[in-house]
Amino acid sequence: MTEIWILVAANPAIDNLVSRGRELGGQLVAVVAGDRSCAEAIAASGVDRVVWLGEPGATPVEARAAAVADLVAEAAPRVVLAASHPAERVLAGALAGRLGAPALTMVSSVRLEADAVIVTHATFGGVAEETVRVEGPVVIVDECGSVGTGLPVPIEEVTATAPPTLTVVETRMSSTTRVDLGKARRVVAVGRGLARREDLALVEELARALDAEVACSRPLAEGLGWLSRDRYIGVTGQHVHPDLYVAVGISGQLQHVVGCRDAGTVVVVNCDAKAPYFGECDYGIVGDLAQVVPALTAALA
Amino acid sequence: MKIVVAFKWAANPQEATVAADGTVDVGRATLGISEYDPQAFDVGRRLADATGAELVGLSVGGPAATSSMARKAALSRGLDSLVTVTDPSLDDAAATRTGAVLAAAVAQIGDVDLVLTGDASVDLGVQLVPSVMAGLLGWPAVSQVTALSGTPGDLRIERNQEGGTQVLLASGPVVVSIAADAVEPRIPGMKDILGAGRKQTTELDYAALSVEPLVAYAVVGRARPELKARQGKVIDGADPAAAAAEVVAALRATHVL
Ligand SMILES: Cc1cc2nc3c(=O)[nH]c(=O)nc-3n(C[C@H](O)[C@H](O)[C@H](O)COP(=O)(O)OP(=O)(O)OC[C@H]3O[C@@H](n4cnc5c(N)ncnc54)[C@H](O)[C@@H]3O)c2cc1C
Repeated sequence: MTEIWILVAANPAIDNLVSRGRELGGQLVAVVAGDRSCAEAIAASGVDRVVWLGEPGATPVEARAAAVADLVAEAAPRVVLAASHPAERVLAGALAGRLGAPALTMVSSVRLEADAVIVTHATFGGVAEETVRVEGPVVIVDECGSVGTGLPVPIEEVTATAPPTLTVVETRMSSTTRVDLGKARRVVAVGRGLARREDLALVEELARALDAEVACSRPLAEGLGWLSRDRYIGVTGQHVHPDLYVAVGISGQLQHVVGCRDAGTVVVVNCDAKAPYFGECDYGIVGDLAQVVPALTAALA
Repeated sequence: MKIVVAFKWAANPQEATVAADGTVDVGRATLGISEYDPQAFDVGRRLADATGAELVGLSVGGPAATSSMARKAALSRGLDSLVTVTDPSLDDAAATRTGAVLAAAVAQIGDVDLVLTGDASVDLGVQLVPSVMAGLLGWPAVSQVTALSGTPGDLRIERNQEGGTQVLLASGPVVVSIAADAVEPRIPGMKDILGAGRKQTTELDYAALSVEPLVAYAVVGRARPELKARQGKVIDGADPAAAAAEVVAALRATHVL
């Protein structure tokens, strides 16, 4: 029977990968580099087998990439799936290198034929799309989804000799809540048009009035650090598919917009009438967000 | 002891034109050092200065990656020397190919303990090249790195990770991707640009690197992604309350709200 392998570093939210694997048919095998609690969550998330490398201890999970690659290379599956998180990407890249296999991202469809895997994916930052026919293994980095549910399967523990060259000496957690914007029905995203951090309150009030999640462009999460990194949308950030996307003070650069192009309705607020985002919106308001955002909140009351 | 900065000479896809049949033309786009790579140059320069290591730039790509413009742009960013691997077939190479060629070049350069990269290339942006390279070198890869200290071989690595930060210690060679906000990249001055001309570039022969053959795949279809048709109703917000009321009414009328 065809095997589909799923690479898991430490994030058990893989229900999209499980459904992708189920569509392809065959047996779903997850290999987990993270700790036992992660392996247990994966074992109860709808996969058929779980192979666990044992407690990582002080080894960062992605430093086990070589061990993961050994296991997967031996099983020689035709399709390997991994979520688009940083540590999972390390596992996926190392495996692609080992197998010499193409590693594809921003995938819209995967099909198995008797002698090939057919994958359609966006390329060149999302401006173009290509369909490739691979006569060998293919590694796919895909949206993760949420933690799935399923009948628990046993955890098969294997011993991994981790490279002793990398150790964690300190971990500082600033937040433990993980947001999953992938399933949000409404999103209010804010960009560098926000002059002051205090003005975030305006955006949060609008989000509350809409019952929406708050998101942002990359510079607000990285650099400014006004929102957590799991809230920025775009090619390297989250991909969202809400019914309503309100973009406030975001210029509409390609790298941002590809993360939310599937949105049902797009509303843009920007003070620059020439902002590229106005070319891709349903409704746009040219104005200062400091006035327009509270007005929108008031109009919803 | 050498520190390699692997970077890409790339075009911003924002400037690409995509034909109806999905073929991408970057002929008119400006090429440059990929937007988030200068951070890796700066972090590398500081570490090289602190440890006495040699800082070597490495770029893999089509012939443009070794043009005099590309060389100057790279060499004015604090490198001691530059190595390029170019071939027409590498012009639009995908992640596995690029990572494999980089790994072979790092092995060829020799005496390398640390490879630095940017966060993502501006053109493909798949964030997989560093880990492909690391996998083939048999080294670990660490991404989202904000600071490095110590010496290669005994390196303290600070990085972001989901929900916080982490400090790692690397006792062996490692591939490190620098976070886009790790440093504010320095803009090369006149002295840097003039000095660039005196620094050496070595062009490695792609064929002689004998990169392992990769799994064959063929592009069997291309398309320009169908963009959703949008209403495109843009209104003036000089009267914010009136504009807001109009948009909210439209959202209610179309049952979005
Ligand atoms: C490899 C790579 C990957 C990237 N990945 C991502 C990604 O995943 N996600 C992402 O978002 N970006 C990404 N970027 C960055 C991206 O290219 C843009 O730089 C970024 O999206 C711009 O963010 P912004 O729109 O908030 O800021 P800006 O482009 O600076 O736009 C700010 C906007 O606010 C408007 N404005 C200013 N003041 C006001 C006001 N008072 N009221 C209303 N409007 C106002 C301005 O007119 C302007 O249009 C990436 C870049 C690279 C190179």
